[in-house]
Amino acid sequence: MQAIELKDIIFSYGKELVLDKLCASFYKGEMGVVLGRNGSGKSTLFHILTGIQRDYGGTLRVNGHDRRRIQKGSKDSLRIGFMNQFHQTTFPFSVFDVVLTGRASFSRFGPSKADRDQVRAVLESFGLLPYKDKPYTELSGGERQLVLLCRVLVQDPDIILLDEPTNHLDLHYQIAVLDNLKKLVDNGKTVICIMHDPNLAFQYGDRFFVMGDGKLRSLDSTTNDHKREVLEQAYQVDLQSVVVQDKLVLIPKSKLSM
Amino acid sequence: MHWKVFALCIVPICIVFISLCLGSTGFLSLSDLFRYTYAALAHCLGQDVTMQDTNMETILWQVRLPRVLLTFMVGAALAVAGGVLQAVFRNPIVDPFSLGISSGAAFGAALSMLISLIPLNLSAFMFGIIAVLITYLVSRGGTRGSLVTMVLAGMIISGVFTAFLTVLQYLSDPYKLQAIVQWTMGNLHTASWHKVQQAIFPITLGLTIIIAFRWKLNLLSLGEQEALAVGVNPKIIKLIMVGAATMITASSVAAVGMISLFGLIVPHISRMVFGPSNSIGVLANVSIGGSFLLVIDNFSRTLLPFEIPIGVFTMMLGTPLFIYLMRKNAINWNG
Repeated sequence: MQAIELKDIIFSYGKELVLDKLCASFYKGEMGVVLGRNGSGKSTLFHILTGIQRDYGGTLRVNGHDRRRIQKGSKDSLRIGFMNQFHQTTFPFSVFDVVLTGRASFSRFGPSKADRDQVRAVLESFGLLPYKDKPYTELSGGERQLVLLCRVLVQDPDIILLDEPTNHLDLHYQIAVLDNLKKLVDNGKTVICIMHDPNLAFQYGDRFFVMGDGKLRSLDSTTNDHKREVLEQAYQVDLQSVVVQDKLVLIPKSKLSM
Repeated sequence: MHWKVFALCIVPICIVFISLCLGSTGFLSLSDLFRYTYAALAHCLGQDVTMQDTNMETILWQVRLPRVLLTFMVGAALAVAGGVLQAVFRNPIVDPFSLGISSGAAFGAALSMLISLIPLNLSAFMFGIIAVLITYLVSRGGTRGSLVTMVLAGMIISGVFTAFLTVLQYLSDPYKLQAIVQWTMGNLHTASWHKVQQAIFPITLGLTIIIAFRWKLNLLSLGEQEALAVGVNPKIIKLIMVGAATMITASSVAAVGMISLFGLIVPHISRMVFGPSNSIGVLANVSIGGSFLLVIDNFSRTLLPFEIPIGVFTMMLGTPLFIYLMRKNAINWNG
């Protein structure tokens, strides 16, 4: 079943056309991954999906509903959680308080005990419980990113949109985050990630797209060789492909002669 | 944590009693105060307990009590408004004063004193809202509004309304001029039961709204996108919060005039003691704000043979804090 359907999406910054009749479908209970170069329009697409950017042409449907008409904050509405790339805050809230704000759409006034328990559980699943009273402003970039991810997950969203969830993270946390996302997908959630590392993407994702020329190009139902060619073209790098345990691994070649 | 919460309740009560004992007509001992209180209560119940000093009795109930109540309300209101604005605009150096609300409200109040077309409270509120709206729009115009532009815009708007106020002062007759000038310095000494009556409804209403939704201030101070990220539309709650903060500020200004920078100082004290969460912070602002303004007012009443305007006092306290915050780089200029 289609969770998100993009049809003829057009978007431009001034005269520069960023998205040019982009079409794509993301399916329910799958992890969709968008790859592509910096500045190719991935983040623009992300902002359209999240509902922050509304000045686009074409239709975007989420579970069959027009994205523009989905009301925020109403109880029966579809829950869409997302995580931005950058975030800074002024006040040194504790980690627990930051994650707790993720439950804000569930209560009119203050958080309940159930909300607090949920926060505890999510922090526990990332091994962050010891950090719960630490000021958010004193965390490293990677730790902050994890906390923000917890914050998104604590609202129990149906669709999770993530812009580069693993940048800033060390290898340990990269795997922790992706394992957790995989678990969520197995439980029927829909996850859409923008990612930089094709290998991690192939290891965890179900469906792959490459952004280029304002369009999303699907990598599904293609051979490994074809995938390699498309990515070589997209990133302008020569790649060598290896298959490890049925998963495609691409190794970039240096442009210097070594 | 528990003793801190306990202190939040006990300290204001103690300070209220102490403040009732102080004044230019003489100091009361606490036991005297309790005797007067007992007499008044008995009087209410229909029994007649006569006190020797009826003058003191009148001063206590007609001068000191309304003043103490009004001071507490205004202190709490300004502190809470400051805390709310700091959270909503994600900026630790804004307060009702620096966003132009106070100046706008003062102009509205003075205007209503001069030409009484609309009630003073309402006029103060309207111009307070107008001022904060202009500040917000000016700082958003063009590029994405940063915190610096917001403070600068607030300064400009504040300046414009102060200029308008000066024009009003220039145009008004000496009696009204004196009233307006005292106003701009904060004039708690004109406190009366009438003023308490006028201020108590809007301030209680505003405080109740803010206290009810106080937890959501944490969400707002993470930023608009972070609210959208967890499925909350921040616009409505922002509007409610800024509206309520403006209402309580304007009512305070209408009742006692401008008390500069008080709304900046207290939220910082609350955060130092109770941490940054607004769940406890708003309540702390009520308690600390009310108590602290009472303490400052007690000094301004008793330190010298004449009263020092309270606005002068708070400005002198607020300025070093402002400079300290600027130096400490506690301000997130880019957010």
